[in-house]
Amino acid sequence: MNEQAELMRSAAREFAEKYLKDVATKIEREGIGSDIKEKILQQGFLGATLSPDMGGAGLDPLSQRLMLFEFAKVSPSVSAYIFFHNDIVSKVLETRSDKESIRNLLEGKDNYGIYWPGLMEGAKTNSSEKVMERVINSSCNKTIGLFSDGKVYLVEGKNEPVKDFKPLGLRGMGICNFFPEKRVEYGKKEVLEDLLIKSSGDIASIFLGIAEGSLEKTMEYTRVRKTFNEPLKNYEPVAFKMAELESELEIMKYSLFSDEADEVRLLMLKNMSASFSKKATKYALQFHGGYGYLEDFGVEKFYRDSVALSAIIYRPVEDKRFLASKIYGDRSGFL
Amino acid sequence: MDFDLSEELKQYGKKVREFSLKEFSNKVASIYDIQEQYPDELRIKALKEGIIDFSNPWKTMIGIEEMCRVDPGLGISVTVPFFGAEVLMLHGSDHLKEKYLGKVAAGEKIMGLGVTEPGGGSDVAGLKTVARKEGNKYVVNGSKMFITNGTIADFFVMLVRTAHPDDPAKRHRGLSVLVVERNFKGFDSNKLTGKLGVRATNTAELILNNVEVPAENLVGDEGKGFYYIMEFFNISRIFVAAQSIGIAQGVLDRTTDFLKNLEKNGDYVGEERKFKLAEMATRVEASRLLMYKAASFLFNYNPNPTLTSMAKGYASETASFAAETAMEITGQTGLNSEIERFFRDSKIMEIWEGTSEVEKIVISRMILKGDKNE
Repeated sequence: MNEQAELMRSAAREFAEKYLKDVATKIEREGIGSDIKEKILQQGFLGATLSPDMGGAGLDPLSQRLMLFEFAKVSPSVSAYIFFHNDIVSKVLETRSDKESIRNLLEGKDNYGIYWPGLMEGAKTNSSEKVMERVINSSCNKTIGLFSDGKVYLVEGKNEPVKDFKPLGLRGMGICNFFPEKRVEYGKKEVLEDLLIKSSGDIASIFLGIAEGSLEKTMEYTRVRKTFNEPLKNYEPVAFKMAELESELEIMKYSLFSDEADEVRLLMLKNMSASFSKKATKYALQFHGGYGYLEDFGVEKFYRDSVALSAIIYRPVEDKRFLASKIYGDRSGFL
Repeated sequence: MDFDLSEELKQYGKKVREFSLKEFSNKVASIYDIQEQYPDELRIKALKEGIIDFSNPWKTMIGIEEMCRVDPGLGISVTVPFFGAEVLMLHGSDHLKEKYLGKVAAGEKIMGLGVTEPGGGSDVAGLKTVARKEGNKYVVNGSKMFITNGTIADFFVMLVRTAHPDDPAKRHRGLSVLVVERNFKGFDSNKLTGKLGVRATNTAELILNNVEVPAENLVGDEGKGFYYIMEFFNISRIFVAAQSIGIAQGVLDRTTDFLKNLEKNGDYVGEERKFKLAEMATRVEASRLLMYKAASFLFNYNPNPTLTSMAKGYASETASFAAETAMEITGQTGLNSEIERFFRDSKIMEIWEGTSEVEKIVISRMILKGDKNE
């Protein structure tokens, strides 16, 4: 691991410990507070991947993966918030050299929502040009959105809370209905598809951070919680399963945090980590018993977020087809 | 061998489904879910319209499945006011049955079962709530956790310790069942909020501080409470299997509709998603058959705990498997639909009325003891 990556990891870990850990449940209930967003900006986490001539830190891919991993362990919502701004919004703006929008982003004047229901096979956009329904990030004043004409737009407008609906995951980011006032075309659907492929490592980092966060809590709990007068960790089904999950996690982390991870390996990791995070968080909840079902224990959020994130940023059909084609060196898995 | 239900049961299932489709709309279910509110008016309506029928256990089982297929939170809420009634029916005195059960059946009262405690879920015999006999009453001290109907039930069938055996290995002895009313002095309850799913159901912690319970509220014999409760779990696990199969069938219905729509619109479906649908459907069918077999033993007064645990364990894992798979197949569409609520509701099936691990302990123990399901 290079020095910049080590530094970024410890900075992100310290930040999560100092500013997120104690308010992680509050973030789930009330959203990411403006004070936290402000601190994320001040510390340079948001927009960090932008090149220095655009005002960013030119953060290398490994450092970005480590940062997202550390945040996801404590608050998947905060990790996803940074991911969407660094991997999608910044990249779209940078491609168009939109310096004014980048400046506004780095100064905290603009806060972006994400909207791409039509990106996955079979999913349809149910919005019109008048309203974009259920945009991710309830406090956004701008949105990067995929419209039914198959084009990506940067949209300015106003948001309104969604009534009678609580999202499954990323509750810290929240959702809103967004009313466009002005939109600028940024390219075709493929722009987003390409960004999601290139972000495979970062997506894997969030999934693995979620898994590690839930397993850390479970390690703690199974050490102290007793049943039939023995700690849970003394029972084979718990201890063996935890050992198995920790082993899988460790091997995937080893690959993810390697300087040499290439595009195909990162894509493989995204596939594996998406399903692993669901498995790990499900066992984490199970080993907490009834307490795991309660928000206060901070375990159920990992389970919800792993499934919700999968639905939002992981594309099971397209990603597997892309990976199969890379493995065969030829177009595969399309029949 | 006949795998078909009787015409009477089919008609009953149809009636329950029609009621559920009419009353448990997505909008209604969503409001109760968000507000974590118990749907009392739906409970009363279901009773008035004869939707809840506990006179025949097959009907109970089928009714639960059909309601949970439409919405698990509302389905469970409407069928759970009788929770624990079997303990009273099987072991309560005529006086207790008349005093308490009649009013539940009439819709005037709600009951609950108080077994789980803060320090122990699976370890039932390790409970700490103590009832000390003083003249013609018991004085109860302790607490209960994750109690369904905890802040709305009028009374609870409650497991307490009435004696302390000398041998710790025999701690399942000395437990008894009492009927404890909410309005007894020293009784308190706190609603648990922020649950992942089944949020329309009411769950609470109960606190018992020198609660005086008349001795006549003892159910059956003193010291036999553990066995009564284990007997009850052998019954209730069939009904949790029905809840689970309802959930699994519910997400299967919705996933099938989603894929049919794709095909209809000429969109790509792919074998990957079709195979997953096939696996969901197969597991739902297998779970249902296992439940029917376990139920046929139980409802013919010949309970088979191995089969019951198999049915509950497999059906509950099928519910969460089906809900997760449905989320995978439907992606963002599922995220913005009822499927996400089914997903949140499904996980508790693997925890309550005996975790999956407990079911596996029961099954393996019985198999190793030589029970061949004959």
